Amino acid sequence: MIKEVHEETVIWHLGFMTFHGKTLIMTWIVMAAILIFCYLGVRHLTSGKPGKMQNVLEWIIDFVKNLVSDNMSYEQGRPLLPYLVTLIIFVFFSNLLGLIPNFTFNLLEHFDVEFAQLNMIFEGPLLMSPTADINTTAALALLTIILVVFLGIKTKGVHYFQHFLEPFKVMAILHIIDLISKPLTLAFRLFGNIFAGEVLLKVILMLPGIWVLPGILPMSVWLGFSIFIGAIQAYVFTVLTTAYVSQAVTASEH
Amino acid sequence: MGNPIQFDFTVVATVISFLLLVWLLSKKAWGPLMKMMEERRSHIESMLAQAENERQQAEKIKHEYQEEMHKARQEAQEVIAKATKVSEVRAKEILAASHEESEKIKKSALVDIERERDRAITEVRAQVAELSVMVAEKIIRQKLDMKGQGELIEQFIQEVGEMQ
Repeated sequence: MIKEVHEETVIWHLGFMTFHGKTLIMTWIVMAAILIFCYLGVRHLTSGKPGKMQNVLEWIIDFVKNLVSDNMSYEQGRPLLPYLVTLIIFVFFSNLLGLIPNFTFNLLEHFDVEFAQLNMIFEGPLLMSPTADINTTAALALLTIILVVFLGIKTKGVHYFQHFLEPFKVMAILHIIDLISKPLTLAFRLFGNIFAGEVLLKVILMLPGIWVLPGILPMSVWLGFSIFIGAIQAYVFTVLTTAYVSQAVTASEH
Repeated sequence: MGNPIQFDFTVVATVISFLLLVWLLSKKAWGPLMKMMEERRSHIESMLAQAENERQQAEKIKHEYQEEMHKARQEAQEVIAKATKVSEVRAKEILAASHEESEKIKKSALVDIERERDRAITEVRAQVAELSVMVAEKIIRQKLDMKGQGELIEQFIQEVGEMQ
């Protein structure tokens, strides 16, 4: 069953390195979508009466700004803001991409476009969320934890490592486990949610009957719910990143 | 092939892609956007301050006007009161003067009347004396002989004398 659901992974080879081609293509599609989205927003940039798209972008910035100032002093969080805004938009768009039908209609396969195995990347009824691949979520989680440690050292210097030894030196083990578990939970939470959503979509499409007709009702319900999950997961990822950073940069109560 | 959790260099590629996106967006989108928002914020702030300033000024001007109006009204009231008082005094004066005048006229008229009456009386007296002399002449001429009339003549003369 799982074999039928999960297609063969498209692997790109570059020297000794291997890449998940489908994930990367989808990542770049998401990036292109975000760039278009943002271009529409900043096209007629004005400090007067903002247009609709500019308003949307400003709303997103305000939303993230509130998240940041809830967790730490705004002055400390300000340099982080562009990263966090990009993060929440990227994760949200990525989560939604898996819900969008594959509008290439398998034409690439039909014409045997072998370049970069595009025929295999654009097969199946739906596109794929980049976040349904553990590599993407791991990359984002890795960036988060690098950011946490980097900002911790930047604001506190060597004193940042002191909190590993508090209250007792033995606690260092727990602190290290804590530090490692942060990116792990971040990566697996996002990956699990989105991957499971995609698997369920594929299962719904495999319902017996003439093509996909019996799946229309559960499909609509699950698509709606997936949008909800996508938004929630993007929010959670950003909030947790903010919280971890604020933990690292604010002075400990000891 | 069923395991969906496979790490490889996709992580690196994604990290690079994502950082590129962050750099591009913060340079082209978030930076200008946040600058605009800040600009708008300061613009609104200055507008609010200006509005507050203008409101205070308006309040001050309104206060001044009110005070001035109050003063003007008070002055008008005073002028009216003064005018009323003056006119009253003047009316009284006029009345008194006219009263005096009329009194004077009345007095002089009375004096005139008295004088006229006196003159008329003296005139009448003179005439009566003349007349009585004439009548006496006539009667004496005609009926002097008629004795018995003497008593009547006596009486007549007496009456004329009383009239004087």
